[in-house]
Amino acid sequence: MKNRPGRTGFRFQSRRVPLPLVIEAEGLGRRFGARTVLEGVSIGVRQGEVFGVVGPDGAGKTTLLQILAGILRPSFGACRVLGEDVRRRADRVQAKVGYMSQGFSLYDQLTVAENISFAAGIRDVPKAAFAARKTQLLNMAGLERFEARREGALSGGMRKKLALCANLIHEPPLLILDEPSLGVDPLSRRELWRMLEGAKAAGRSIIFATSYMDEADGSDRVLLLRDGRPLAIGSPAELRTSARQRVYRVTTADPTALENQLTDSAAVLSFQKRTLGEYRVQLSEAAQPHFPAAKTAEIAEPTMEDVFTVASAPLGRSSSPSAASQNRAPSSEILVAAQAITQRFGDFVAVDDVSLEIKAGEVLGLLGPNGAGKTTLIRILCGLLSPTEGRAQVAGFDVARQSDQVRATIGYVSQKFSLFTDLTSQENLSFFTRAYGVAPAEVTSRIAWACERAGFHLGEEGLVRNLSSALRQRLALACAIVHRPRVLFLDEPTSGVDPLSRFRFWRLISTLAAEGVAVIVSTHYLEEATYCDRLGLMMDGRMIALGSLAMLEAELGLKGARVEDVFMGFIDRERKKLTRAA
Amino acid sequence: MKPARMFAFARKEVLEIIRDPITVWIALFMPLMMLFLFGVALSFDVKDAPLVIVDHDKSAASRALSAQFLNTGYFRLADAPEDERVAEHALMQGKARAVLVIPPNFGRRLTQGETAPVQFLVDGTYASTAAIVSAYGRAIMHAFPKGTLDLPIQPQVRVWYNPQLRSRDFIVPGLFAVILMAFPPLLTALAVTREKELGTIAQIYASPLTKAEFVIAKLLPYAAIAFLQLLIVLAGGFLLFQVPMHGSLALLIALGLIYVLTTVSIGLLVSTLVRTQVAAMLVTLILTLMPSFLFSGFIYPIFTMPTFFQGYSARIPTMYFVNISRGIVMRGAGLPELWTNVAVLVVYTAVVLILATLLLKKRIA
Repeated sequence: MKNRPGRTGFRFQSRRVPLPLVIEAEGLGRRFGARTVLEGVSIGVRQGEVFGVVGPDGAGKTTLLQILAGILRPSFGACRVLGEDVRRRADRVQAKVGYMSQGFSLYDQLTVAENISFAAGIRDVPKAAFAARKTQLLNMAGLERFEARREGALSGGMRKKLALCANLIHEPPLLILDEPSLGVDPLSRRELWRMLEGAKAAGRSIIFATSYMDEADGSDRVLLLRDGRPLAIGSPAELRTSARQRVYRVTTADPTALENQLTDSAAVLSFQKRTLGEYRVQLSEAAQPHFPAAKTAEIAEPTMEDVFTVASAPLGRSSSPSAASQNRAPSSEILVAAQAITQRFGDFVAVDDVSLEIKAGEVLGLLGPNGAGKTTLIRILCGLLSPTEGRAQVAGFDVARQSDQVRATIGYVSQKFSLFTDLTSQENLSFFTRAYGVAPAEVTSRIAWACERAGFHLGEEGLVRNLSSALRQRLALACAIVHRPRVLFLDEPTSGVDPLSRFRFWRLISTLAAEGVAVIVSTHYLEEATYCDRLGLMMDGRMIALGSLAMLEAELGLKGARVEDVFMGFIDRERKKLTRAA
Repeated sequence: MKPARMFAFARKEVLEIIRDPITVWIALFMPLMMLFLFGVALSFDVKDAPLVIVDHDKSAASRALSAQFLNTGYFRLADAPEDERVAEHALMQGKARAVLVIPPNFGRRLTQGETAPVQFLVDGTYASTAAIVSAYGRAIMHAFPKGTLDLPIQPQVRVWYNPQLRSRDFIVPGLFAVILMAFPPLLTALAVTREKELGTIAQIYASPLTKAEFVIAKLLPYAAIAFLQLLIVLAGGFLLFQVPMHGSLALLIALGLIYVLTTVSIGLLVSTLVRTQVAAMLVTLILTLMPSFLFSGFIYPIFTMPTFFQGYSARIPTMYFVNISRGIVMRGAGLPELWTNVAVLVVYTAVVLILATLLLKKRIA
């Protein structure tokens, strides 16, 4: 491995002599009990390289990075980091690298300056060098004015930048960063990456994990991980080349017909609705597709998201749901009706004067940034919270006064997994079936029905905590529908799930809607909006737009816009309204 | 070992402690609260025990005996029925701790120089109280001024160290040991497991800080807090409860310093074994507080325990500081009398610290 020149790692450099390897991993893997969370990872990262580990939640990214930082012992394989064996000389690896764990890894009770000097103190930064480095790093991070502020009082983006400063203070040759931009606003994300550019320019190697496919584009090379196994490795350009001719831009005048054809075609791995008449399609092999309902079908330049979908195709279990009729037309029966709902928590208005109606067979998507009030609205409609003002009926029952009846007629999949992780899938299903009062004679058939509808195969035994996040998601859906609810609430059901599994999940939801279930879904993946019949855009507790994508586009006077544009358009309009009012 | 790294780590720990109101609260208020509760509420002294007197004699002598009982302050009259059955009922109901039955002719027999038996019934459901009540009863009757009760042997019993047998004087020095075993290990174990739960420990793992440096840098700030707690409970004991001090306060404080190192080390050891704060709390309580109450000699004397449990008590450091504390406070003992206890604590601390360092894994799993 050592002698092979780094074919892919030097897009910006042209050197004859290959730079030394900072990471050499061969067949690396890790087992927790009986569960193998990482397997067969072989990578070589060269000095100065920016290396991305890309994959959805539960792909094994954190495990890999922890092994590389010397704080987790590998179960299989061999690995040297900065020339030290991670098994035998873990202490040296720990001392040399900069490791930034997921989430917030600093002390929230300590100030910015105290956190930095703590990091410097335990990492042997010479006193003489400390002051200059600290000033330089804090300036770069834009934190120099906040030295005396407690870390806990900073914004998420600032906390992440500070954590990066704490990991740069000892000038490590290798930075290991676990999802550095998770939960960080776009502006801070850009600043974070500018700091990393600086570190790269200073000759540091960087290995980072991310679930944002677009971040992979900024790296020299990328490892795609899924379910603990490597899918592909290479530069973003190489990976794109491998997916070329398998990604198409398809336009149509008849969206419903095209969607049916795309759903039925075995060659289609996944598709996303980009605008009203435009779709992006990923195919299982490079071949000119034939869709009678398509007006045009042209090869599109693959994005990393496409690459991931294409690369994970061979792994994807062929569990795509029976293609039930996707020809659904919402009936006239109104199942959910909310009138001027307001929810206050003290001074804070979580939901502000929201009214909406949802018919049987309709899918309503709630979109909005964190804290927009999506979860609170869903909780009110589920009868879990009594609104401060306003009224709402679900299937004819008042959510405040008849919450017991409401809860019996709805299914609810919450943001966090609501399953019992120490029970098996079968035990979870039995529990929920009985808890909803299904007659004992019907239990078996109901479970079978729910699993079929949720695309979950009950053969997959073992404790729920050992299931992948995509499987858990389907099991949670199965548990939520065993009592045949008329209204289904899904609170960010697809967060952290890989693109292909997300696509399959949406097909399941469509099938349920086609059977007359009213579905309310919140999501922060904007592209998922195209699967919904209508969209509700929320901001600061208010419903700033409500209607089909076409209607919303027309309202803004846009044509062929992406969901992001529509969303940003309404947010802009709302902000302008507010500034005018003020 | 690099002092600079340890200093940085210990400094961070101190800052965190100072800024966390809950830690400050547990550290400063809870020990005082425990001292106050146990010091006030826990007492083996018998005062105003309800006594039922059945006087069949009704003579001057019988009245004098009754008065003798009630004047001591140890008993109060609950009832004075004519019938023994009423008295027995009172005993059964728990309304009386003891019954004194004075037979007819008590006064006459006394004046004639005959033996005059009286019946003294004691409720034995609370064994220790019963023993005290019956001893009080016997003492009062012995002291009853009548020449005919002469005993062949006249023992000159003197109680040393706590002549009034005030149980507070005996409980409070024991409490010092129990309180310092209750809170410092808990705080320490919680501090480390909190870092594990929040994930901040990962950046300490991924640093040059060695295991020994970690252990020492965690130990010192919490030992300082524990030392502060020692001073607080000592002040509470001597100033609030007016427990008399017969020995050297300086010696007590010096040996207390060794003891708090022991207790904080136990907390550190626990924190290397568990991952969550809940587990840390449970394990610490089971390992420290529970045996401290039962097997340290704090309440229940060790020499009355079966041999096996005497051996068990010897594994609990609380016992040694109970010995030290009571020795200094009550008997005025010095190092020559207490050195074995001190030696055990020192060895104990060293073993626990070495174990904690060895068991600490600078790894996630």
